[in-house]
Amino acid sequence: MHTACLDCDLLIDLPRLEEGQRAKCPRCGYILATRPHDGFRRALAYALAGLVFLALANSFPFLSFEQSGLANVMTLPQTAMSLYAGGFTGLALLVGGFIVLVPAVMMIMLVAMLVPVVNGRHAHYLKPFARWLYRMGPWSMVEVYLIGVIVSLVKIMALATVHLGFSFWAYAAFTVCFIATISVLDRVALWDRIEELSA
Amino acid sequence: MSGYAADTAASRGLALCHVCFKLSPVEQHICPRCGEHLHLRTPDSVQRAAALLITAAILYIPANVLPIMYTEQLGNTIPSTIMGGVILLWHHKSYPIAAVIFIASVMVPMGKLFSVGYLLWSVRAGRTSSKQQRTTLYRMTEFVGRWSMIDVFVVSILVALIHLSGVIVIRPGAAAVSFAGVVIITMIAAEAFDPRLIWDAGEDADE
Repeated sequence: MHTACLDCDLLIDLPRLEEGQRAKCPRCGYILATRPHDGFRRALAYALAGLVFLALANSFPFLSFEQSGLANVMTLPQTAMSLYAGGFTGLALLVGGFIVLVPAVMMIMLVAMLVPVVNGRHAHYLKPFARWLYRMGPWSMVEVYLIGVIVSLVKIMALATVHLGFSFWAYAAFTVCFIATISVLDRVALWDRIEELSA
Repeated sequence: MSGYAADTAASRGLALCHVCFKLSPVEQHICPRCGEHLHLRTPDSVQRAAALLITAAILYIPANVLPIMYTEQLGNTIPSTIMGGVILLWHHKSYPIAAVIFIASVMVPMGKLFSVGYLLWSVRAGRTSSKQQRTTLYRMTEFVGRWSMIDVFVVSILVALIHLSGVIVIRPGAAAVSFAGVVIITMIAAEAFDPRLIWDAGEDADE
């Protein structure tokens, strides 16, 4: 099958990959395609688990803060809500989008796509969902937020006591599932499969 | 098709769809698989990336000059800037965290502005050397872009968490908005830049 390198436009005759192989551009080193073992099924499993963890992460205390006998508990949605309360509506929408909304929509679309794909059936929404999925990709900042939480903890620890809530661990688990989902799902393989199914 | 090196898809009039990665003749205009518009190269790549880069560079000034957050403690309001926060952490001997914030909020955005600027200049000047290194620089720029949002997230978390009325309250500052703007606009600038332009310049003697 002929393809071209996305980064340097070299015309390449790509052989069919065996499981566990990946193809690199011989000129610039760009990773053209991967073929993880049982990729679609595993991606579906990770995405479902991720959605459960994300639901849990939004339902319990995320962090709590204690100073001079007073305490304040924050939840995950409050990360964005407190910016809104402070008069920064646009920034609140961006932060809420980057850390919860975009990743949630991506995982929901993936589950909706992979259920028919794994069962070898076509669904009329496969193409638009796949387009949106990859358009949204760069705007999901799950792992960046997790590092942000850790940085915040270290910043606050000097002046007060901070406790990690159940939601923090659920969000950490969601991060692992999210990254696992994306890494076992090959973009080229997904589009080839969608084309086969819609033929 | 003239002007493209013989071994490229563009030289045969073939365009790779940037959404679904299917190779199709460019005269079809629309990708037969996913419906995206087909182009041999991203249209107006250099102009769009340059315009976004200038916007980001301008926004970077208020992002550093204005306070990113205010700490209200026992009646006093203390504004803090991005660099102020780094210096304070350094004084408190939180060296690793000071380094993380410094790298994510100062070095990465500055590095992105310079590297996209350099890539644009090198393409405009028709440079033929170090194509591989420039492609790697482009990939790094694309990869690190999102990580600069750390400081904005830290401010959001502090604002939500540190809220004990009358004792200590943290409020967001205008620099948080400018800084988020810098991060988002440089991400779009990196996406607007087409790395294939690096390879379109003629062969170099050492390659």
